[in-house]
Amino acid sequence: MSPVEFLRNRFGLPEEWLQGLETITEQATVFIGTPEVIRFNAVKPLRRGLRLCRIFPHSIKPTTFAMQLLGREATANQIEVDEQQAKQLINGGTVEIAADVENGFVLISWRSFIIGVGIYKRPVLKSCIPRFRPVD
Amino acid sequence: MKGVRKLFPEEFCRRYEQFIPDFDLFLEAMLTPLPKVFRINTLKAEPEEVMPLLAELDPEPLSYLRFAYTVKNGRGLGRQLAHFLGLIYIQEAASMIPPVVLDPQPGDKVLDLAAAPGSKTTQMAALMRNRGLIIANDLSLERLRGLIGNVDRMGCLNVVVCRADGIVLGRKLAASCDRVLVDAPCSSEGTIRKTEEALRRWSVRGIANFSRVQKGLICAGYQALRPGGQMVYSTCTIAPEENEAVVAYLLKRFPEAEILPVELDNFVMRPALTEWEGDTFPSAIRRCRRILPQDNNTEAFFVALIRKPDDVTS
Repeated sequence: MSPVEFLRNRFGLPEEWLQGLETITEQATVFIGTPEVIRFNAVKPLRRGLRLCRIFPHSIKPTTFAMQLLGREATANQIEVDEQQAKQLINGGTVEIAADVENGFVLISWRSFIIGVGIYKRPVLKSCIPRFRPVD
Repeated sequence: MKGVRKLFPEEFCRRYEQFIPDFDLFLEAMLTPLPKVFRINTLKAEPEEVMPLLAELDPEPLSYLRFAYTVKNGRGLGRQLAHFLGLIYIQEAASMIPPVVLDPQPGDKVLDLAAAPGSKTTQMAALMRNRGLIIANDLSLERLRGLIGNVDRMGCLNVVVCRADGIVLGRKLAASCDRVLVDAPCSSEGTIRKTEEALRRWSVRGIANFSRVQKGLICAGYQALRPGGQMVYSTCTIAPEENEAVVAYLLKRFPEAEILPVELDNFVMRPALTEWEGDTFPSAIRRCRRILPQDNNTEAFFVALIRKPDDVTS
């Protein structure tokens, strides 16, 4: 199963997810972008599009930034949090929450937005969101 | 007013009161703090979804820029959830003008020759609805880190980030780009409102150094344009050596280049100069525009819109 198929299945994303986009894998990281971005070869770029996921021997970890953009249609393995919990997770904390999802990587949503990726091990949700700057 | 003048180098005042008739107003505006402005990142959300998150800041739309808002008290805007989620981008209003003038379309191939930290790159990605290609280039590795961070946060799928000499890159992409943005490194006189650092560093010698670099970049950008393609050359500085003289240099090297008029509804811009300290510039340069801080309560900027004719072979 390709990393894209894995993510689509895990998060219940539609068949047409990522339609019109292409991916490229470099050093166990899958990048996603427009076809023009993925095929660009005039010079060697430092970065193409967004990092979609990292491939580990026994798991695939989606990235927060890709899922913020591309994960809003997810229907599975998504945990909804309130504003206070969202800020706690963004600031690097964990929250305890009872959720009807599988253990492992989950999408964390607040209102209609995906705020990032976390690891759920019932009942603890741990943030995998990159540290940026504190959110008040 | 004499007191205000004392805060600026004598040579700075001597140079710029020659062509800014309301010079005292200009100096006053240069010392007034900038309003906080942000734009909504339409790649991630619609304004109706974002505005409720910022209601307590009471944002007011800017009449001349779609999706841009100003807030009276912008302290803490960068610590809002909406900012973390990449739903907004804090960007000075005048800095949003060059991409609007360039008007890149979905599917275009765009070269952003001096892209870091990515304000205009990410704005263009939104204008292009995340389609096509933006080649975002810069030389400084430290600034490129910031650019990549902004591309990530804003969710840009149509950006490649490169670290190349602008002149070499222009040659490698010769005659292939639909649009080019040369938002050139400059002496940043226009940013004095934001940081006094620009004033502390100010010198005529510095201006001459930047002018040399800018002349190379504008020619590289022009070479990268396909026939019929358009380029914006912009700076956040006032010095004519970094603005009109750079465009004049391009016209000398490529006499066929066309200077197009620059206009924006509800936004005051002044015509560029046709002469400066003994040098006369081609009359077409008057179509370029100067943005002065007292006119729209922004930073100072310079914007030129340049077109490569259809019948140019390279």
